[in-house]
Amino acid sequence: MAASMRLLVRRAVRLSHRNITLTAAGAAARSGCCRGPSVCRCFSDEAEDRSTHFGFETVSETEKAKRVYKVFENVAQKYDIMNDAMSLGIHRVWKDALLHVMHPQPGAQLLDVAGGTGDIAFRFLEYIRSQEERQKRRAARSSQTPSWQDISNNYSTEDESRESRAVVCDINKEMLKVGKQKADSLGVSAGLSWVVGDAEELPFDDDQFDIYTIAFGIRNVTHIDQALQEALRVLKPGGRFMCLEFSKVNNPILSSIYDAYSFQMIPVIGEVIAGDWKSYQYLVESIRKFPNQEEFKGMIEDAGFYCVKYYNLTGGVVALHSGFKL
Amino acid sequence: MFKNVLSRLVTQTVRPHRYAPPGPVIQRLIPASGPLRSFTDRKDEAQPQFDASLLDVLVCPLSKKPLRYDAETNELINEELGIAYPILDGIPNMIPQEARLIQKDSTEMPTQ
Repeated sequence: MAASMRLLVRRAVRLSHRNITLTAAGAAARSGCCRGPSVCRCFSDEAEDRSTHFGFETVSETEKAKRVYKVFENVAQKYDIMNDAMSLGIHRVWKDALLHVMHPQPGAQLLDVAGGTGDIAFRFLEYIRSQEERQKRRAARSSQTPSWQDISNNYSTEDESRESRAVVCDINKEMLKVGKQKADSLGVSAGLSWVVGDAEELPFDDDQFDIYTIAFGIRNVTHIDQALQEALRVLKPGGRFMCLEFSKVNNPILSSIYDAYSFQMIPVIGEVIAGDWKSYQYLVESIRKFPNQEEFKGMIEDAGFYCVKYYNLTGGVVALHSGFKL
Repeated sequence: MFKNVLSRLVTQTVRPHRYAPPGPVIQRLIPASGPLRSFTDRKDEAQPQFDASLLDVLVCPLSKKPLRYDAETNELINEELGIAYPILDGIPNMIPQEARLIQKDSTEMPTQ
């Protein structure tokens, strides 16, 4: 029902774009509602017919979105603890590597999609702060005895024309709530914003952000190509798309150890710590269903990104894909 | 007579002792009022404020047009399509299915 409403609204928008008056569009939407049942059935059947995977299960696309939402709603409170337990703390290394490759400069605008508890956004702001301090120290060292004019100029340029900002966008309210609580307890608030939004339909205008990141979130999106299209849209020309995701391990020995660990240990840890076996079963299954490094690189290139490359971390357990909008 | 002198001497020496104890008691009272003052400075707003600087980047996900912040209903309104996105705990909810249709009879959109 909601999906068909969304389609009807989209149709109304398209009509308005073709310079038809607003009242006509409103009438079309309202009459569309009356025609509702037959149209609904047609559109919702399409979505119901298109099946996708939820872990190793095959489900309809609407079903997948709902179930993924439920998974993250259940695990939100224990999400960070579980990450540390499952990856033995290595997820911190992966996220630090993402920041290191990103190398953001002061004034950069970041959009962190599926950012949930805000790990990437916090690291981003921290990195920029240390960059700014490094720059100040370098400036202080070079200008040994500044004149009064230089000192007064420094005071005025402290609030830059463009303050760096991080926007965390996630479809799940619970994850964002946990993230906001973390931010409040850490005392981080300047330049950090939280938005509930769908990666396939971002509530941001074109050409807005310098960097778009999605860390361990894109395999949960129902239509990955749509998410990539949206990423291309909201990035400024010259902007960078960066994606951290679990990927294929090529080494056979490491692969067998990894598989054993994933299927034997992780759901057990999930049950013990978070009290949720099924969600973590979904997690390890969804990793296996996600395309490998080369395939995903191809998908990113198809979306329209250039200079796409990937870095394998921890022997291919995690891959960092990067592309530019030119 | 000696007894009178003695009794006066005793009372005179006792009096300064009686005045001494109140001193440290008063000193102990003064730091106690400090924490009492902090209880009255509690934050009044339980609801976190919506960050208006977000409006620079936020647009309606359906029409990609800018939104208007309505402080009374705490919503972001798209006039063109007549929908309002709610804000919970200072976090705007930009999912189209969860937006409210603003019609003349202001009906709620069915959510799944």
